[in-house]
Amino acid sequence: MGCDITTKERAGVINPMYDCQPAGAQYAGIGVKDCIPLVHGGQGCTMFVRLLFAQHFKENFDIASTSLHEDSAVFGGHQRIRDGVMTLARRYPALRVIPLITTCSSEVIGDDVEGNINVCNKMLKEAFPDRKVYVVPVHTPSFKSSQVGGYSECLRAIFKTIATRKATATGKLNIFPGWVNPGDLVMLKRYLREMDVDATFFMDTQDFDSPVLPDKSIHTHGRTTVEDIMASTGARASVALARYEGASTAEQLSSDFEVPAHIVATPYGIANTDALLQKISEITGRPIPDSLITERGVAIDALQDLAHMFFADKRVALFGHPDLVIGLAEFCLEIEMKPVLLLLGDDNSKYKRDPRILALTKKADWDMEVICNADLWELEKRVKDPDTKIDLILGHSKGRYVAIDGNIPMVRVGFPSFDRAGLYRHPTMGYQGAMELAENIANTLFAHMEFNRNKEWILNTW
Amino acid sequence: MPMVLLECDKDIPEREKHIYLKVDGEDTRDFLPVSNAQTIPGTLSERGCAFCGAKLVIGAVLKDTIQMIHGPIGCAYDTWHTKRYPTDNGHFNMKYVWSTDMKESQIVFGGEKRLEKSINEAFDEMPEIKRMFVYTTCPTALIGDDIKAVAKKVMAARPDVDIFTVECPGFAGVSQSKGHHVLNIGWINDKVGTLEPEITSEYTMNFIGDFNIQGDTQLLQAYWDRLGIQVIAHFTGNGTYDSLRGMHRAQLNVVNCARSSGYIANELKKQYGIPRLDIDSWGFNYMAEGIRKICAFFGIEDRGEALIADEYAKWKGRLDWYKERLKGTRMAIWTGGPRLWHWTKSVEDDLGVEVVAMSSKFGHQEDFEKVIARGRNGTYYIDDGNELEFFEIIDRVRPDVIFTGPRVGELVKKLHIPYVNGHGYHNGPYMGFEGFVNLARDMYNAVHNPLLKLAATDIRGPANATIREAAE
Amino acid sequence: MSSDKIDQLFDYVQERCLWQFFSRSWDRQENIDGIIRTATDLLTGVDPKRDQPMDRLFYADAKIMVADFRERFPWITAIEPAEVRALMGTLRERIVDLAITRSQNHELSHSIY
Repeated sequence: MGCDITTKERAGVINPMYDCQPAGAQYAGIGVKDCIPLVHGGQGCTMFVRLLFAQHFKENFDIASTSLHEDSAVFGGHQRIRDGVMTLARRYPALRVIPLITTCSSEVIGDDVEGNINVCNKMLKEAFPDRKVYVVPVHTPSFKSSQVGGYSECLRAIFKTIATRKATATGKLNIFPGWVNPGDLVMLKRYLREMDVDATFFMDTQDFDSPVLPDKSIHTHGRTTVEDIMASTGARASVALARYEGASTAEQLSSDFEVPAHIVATPYGIANTDALLQKISEITGRPIPDSLITERGVAIDALQDLAHMFFADKRVALFGHPDLVIGLAEFCLEIEMKPVLLLLGDDNSKYKRDPRILALTKKADWDMEVICNADLWELEKRVKDPDTKIDLILGHSKGRYVAIDGNIPMVRVGFPSFDRAGLYRHPTMGYQGAMELAENIANTLFAHMEFNRNKEWILNTW
Repeated sequence: MPMVLLECDKDIPEREKHIYLKVDGEDTRDFLPVSNAQTIPGTLSERGCAFCGAKLVIGAVLKDTIQMIHGPIGCAYDTWHTKRYPTDNGHFNMKYVWSTDMKESQIVFGGEKRLEKSINEAFDEMPEIKRMFVYTTCPTALIGDDIKAVAKKVMAARPDVDIFTVECPGFAGVSQSKGHHVLNIGWINDKVGTLEPEITSEYTMNFIGDFNIQGDTQLLQAYWDRLGIQVIAHFTGNGTYDSLRGMHRAQLNVVNCARSSGYIANELKKQYGIPRLDIDSWGFNYMAEGIRKICAFFGIEDRGEALIADEYAKWKGRLDWYKERLKGTRMAIWTGGPRLWHWTKSVEDDLGVEVVAMSSKFGHQEDFEKVIARGRNGTYYIDDGNELEFFEIIDRVRPDVIFTGPRVGELVKKLHIPYVNGHGYHNGPYMGFEGFVNLARDMYNAVHNPLLKLAATDIRGPANATIREAAE
Repeated sequence: MSSDKIDQLFDYVQERCLWQFFSRSWDRQENIDGIIRTATDLLTGVDPKRDQPMDRLFYADAKIMVADFRERFPWITAIEPAEVRALMGTLRERIVDLAITRSQNHELSHSIY
C-alpha cells in the first residue's frame, strides 16, 4: 500500500501523451482575436497541428508557416520570417498579432528571432503607418518541455510583448483557466457572472465552438483582444487555475505590474471548485450566491446516486495534462474511486514536488503509481498486466486502443478528444462539470456492463 | 491570359504562375502551372513536410514494421491518428508511434546513443516485431546524426532484425513529395532484391501506389485473387516489410499513385526490366480498363471479362441510381495531387458530375499535364492553393461539394458547402467497382443534406417555405 | 486524311492515356512509340510482337485503346491500312509534340528519377 512516484525508464517513447512545444504555443496563439500565429519551421509543424485542433474542435483555425527549407537550414531563415510576417500583414488587413513561434529546426539553425522582429517592426511601420501589428517572439524548441510548456510560454510571451504598461485600474480579475474546452470556459464565465464579478479570461476560447450562420460569416477564433491584454496590468488580481498552463503569466503580471497572483487548485470536483469560489469571494468581497449553492447541491445529489453504489473502489488510470490529471485524481477520491495510475507525459521535474501530488500520496491507502515523463506504452503494459486491474481509464483519444484492446471502459477527457462527439462543449470543471463527467463515467460503465454481460442485470432496477 | 491572378494575391503576384483557368482550344503546351516550387511564407498553404511524405504516407502503412522517428516528440505525435489505413492483422500500424524523444542534451552532444537505445528498447518491448524503419527529422539531420551507422550496429547485434533508414528531414524539398521520393529511391537501392519471394502463380505483379485507405487494397486484392494473379508486393497498402524486398521478381508493376510511388516503378523498370503499367483504380470505366490491360498483359482476357461482367452486374445499377441524382453536381477537388487526375473524368463519366476547381498540394507538373488533359474547360487548376484563394475560387465556381481534408471541410461547412473526405474518405473504400458506389453514395448524401437549406435560412426574415421543405 | 479524324484520336489519347505522361521524356517516347506501333499493327490486321515484357505492356495498352477507337470512331474500321498507318503516324507526332517536344514540364529531362 502506498504511492510510488517514478519516471519512465526507457529513453524512447512509444505512443506519446503530449505533442511538442510549438503545438502548445499555437494553441495559445489562436486564443487571441485578429491573430495568426506564424510558425518558424517546416510545414509539417503547422499543418499537423492545425489538423489536430480541427480533429478536437471540428473547426478550422488559421495558423501560418514560414515554410523553412534546406536553403534556410544553410543560410538562415531570416528572409522567410520577414516574408512571412509581411505577407500575413498585407493579406489580412485586420491582423494585429503575429506570435512568431520557433521550432526545433529554427532553434538549431539559430535564427535571430528578436533581431528579425526588429527588422519586421520597421518594415511594418513603413508599410502600415496607421496600424500596429505586434510580432511576438515565442521560443519553443521542440526538444524542450512539451505542448504544456509551449502553451504556457506563448501565453507569457504574448503578455510580455503587448502588456508593457501599467494600465489604469479596472477592478477586474484576470482569469487564466489553462488549456480548457469552450464548455469549461462558458461555465466559468457564468460562475463569475453569478457572483457579479467582472473578469477577463485569457485566452477566451469560447468561440472555438462556433456556429454556421445564414450570412456565412466565420467566427471561429479567440475572443481575447489586444486591449484585453493591455488592460490586464490594471486588474485587481490574477487567478490561475492551472499551475502549468498560465500561472507563469499571472506571476509575470505580479512581478512586472504588481497585479496579485493567485494560483488555485484546478477546479475539478466539488472541493476544488469550492476553493476557487471562496478565493474569488475573498479577493473581490462578493458573496457566493444562492444559485451556485443550489448548483453545488444538485451536483452532490447526483454524485451521491453514483459514488458508493457504482464508483466505490473502482481502480482508475488517468493520463493527460498535469493539472487535469491531478485535478481529476482529487475528484476520483470524492466519488470513492481509487486513482491507481497517474501518467504525466513530459520531463518537467516540478511534477514530483507538486503539493497536490504529495497530498494524494499521503491519502493513498491503496497501491498508487505516479509516472513522470510517461508514455501510453506504460499504460498499455499495466492494462495488460493482470495484477494492475484497471477498471476505468480517464484520458484523451490517443489512448483509445489501449481501452479497446484491453476491453476497459474509457471516458474521454482532455485534449485531444476526437473520437467522441461534442466533448469540447461539455464542462468538466466546476460543479456542473463534476456532475456531467461523473454521469458520463457512469453511463460508460453501464454500457460496458451490458455489452460484456457483466452483471448488467443490476441495472434491471435502479 | 488564362493564368489567373486572384484579388487576394495582389500582394504576392508570383502566385499567378500557379493558377490556371482552362479555356477551349488550349492545352499544356500553352499553359502549365508552376508546381513543386517553394511555398511563399505566411500564405496559409495546405502543405506538409517531407518527413510526413515518407513516414505517414508510405512507411507507416506497413503492418509489421516499427516506425522509429529520431527526433523530438512532435514528429511522432503528429503522424499518429491522422490516417485511415487499416490492416488485416489488427491495425498495428495505426496503434503505435515510436520516437527517440530527442532532448536538448542530444542536440548538443549528439543523439546516436539515444537512437540506439530507443531501437533496442522498441524491439525488446515488442519482441514479435523484427522489422523497423528509422527516420531522421529536422534537428537530427541538422546536427548530423548518422542513423545508418546506428542501424548497422543494431543489426549486427541482433541478427534476426532488419532496419531500413530514411534520411528525409521535414525541411527537405518543398512538400510531402520529397519524402515520397527519398523513401522510394532508398528502398529500391537498399532493400529490393535482398529477399526472394515465394512464387505461387505463373502471373505475378506488384501493386504500387495504393495505401489501403479504408480497405482499398483489400477490396482490389479480391479481384487479383479471382484472376489468379499473385501480388508479390503491395507498395504499401496492407503490406509487409519482407514482401517489399521481393519486388524485383514481379513480371509487371501496376501503378495507381504515380506521384508518391512512380519512382520505384521507374527504377524497377530501369534496374530489373519490369514494365510499368499505370492505371486508375477509382471509377467503373477506369477500373474495368485497368483490369483489361492487366489481363491483356498476362493473356488472361477471359478471366478479366468474367470479373468485370460480374462486378457490373452487382454494382452498376446502384451506380446509375446515384448518377441519375448527381448529374450536374459541381464538385471541387482539393487534395494532394493525383486524385485530381484520377477523379475528374471518372466522376464525369460515371456520375455526371462536373469538376469546377481543383487544387493540388504537392503535385508536380506531370500531374498538371495529366489533369489539364483530362479536365474540363472553365475549370480552375491550382498548385499549392491557400486559404484566401480557396474563398475566392469558391465565390467564382460555387461548388456543391468539395472533396478535401477534414480541416478544410470544417471551414467550408461555414460557407454552407458540404465536404467529403478526399484523403481518408467518409465511408470507403472508394477504389474498385463497389468502392466507386461508396464514393457516389457519400457524395449524394453530402449534397442532399437537409441541413444545408436550414443553414441558409435566416428565421428573422419573413416566413418562407424553406424550412418546411428541408424537413420533408 | 482529315484533321477531324486526327483530332478525335488525339482527344481520346489526351483524355484517357496515362502512358503519354510518364516521368521522363525517354519513358514517354518509349511508350508513345511502342503503343502507337502496336495499335497500328492491331488496326491493320498485323499480329503484334508479344514475346518481350515491354511488348506485352504495349500490347495491353494498345489493345484497349484500339477497342475504344473501334467503338467510338467506327470510321476507323472502314479505312484502308495505308490511311490507318498515315493517321497513326500523325497521331504519334502530335502526342510527341504535346508530351515531349513542347511540353513545359521541367522535370522531363532530369537524368535520374
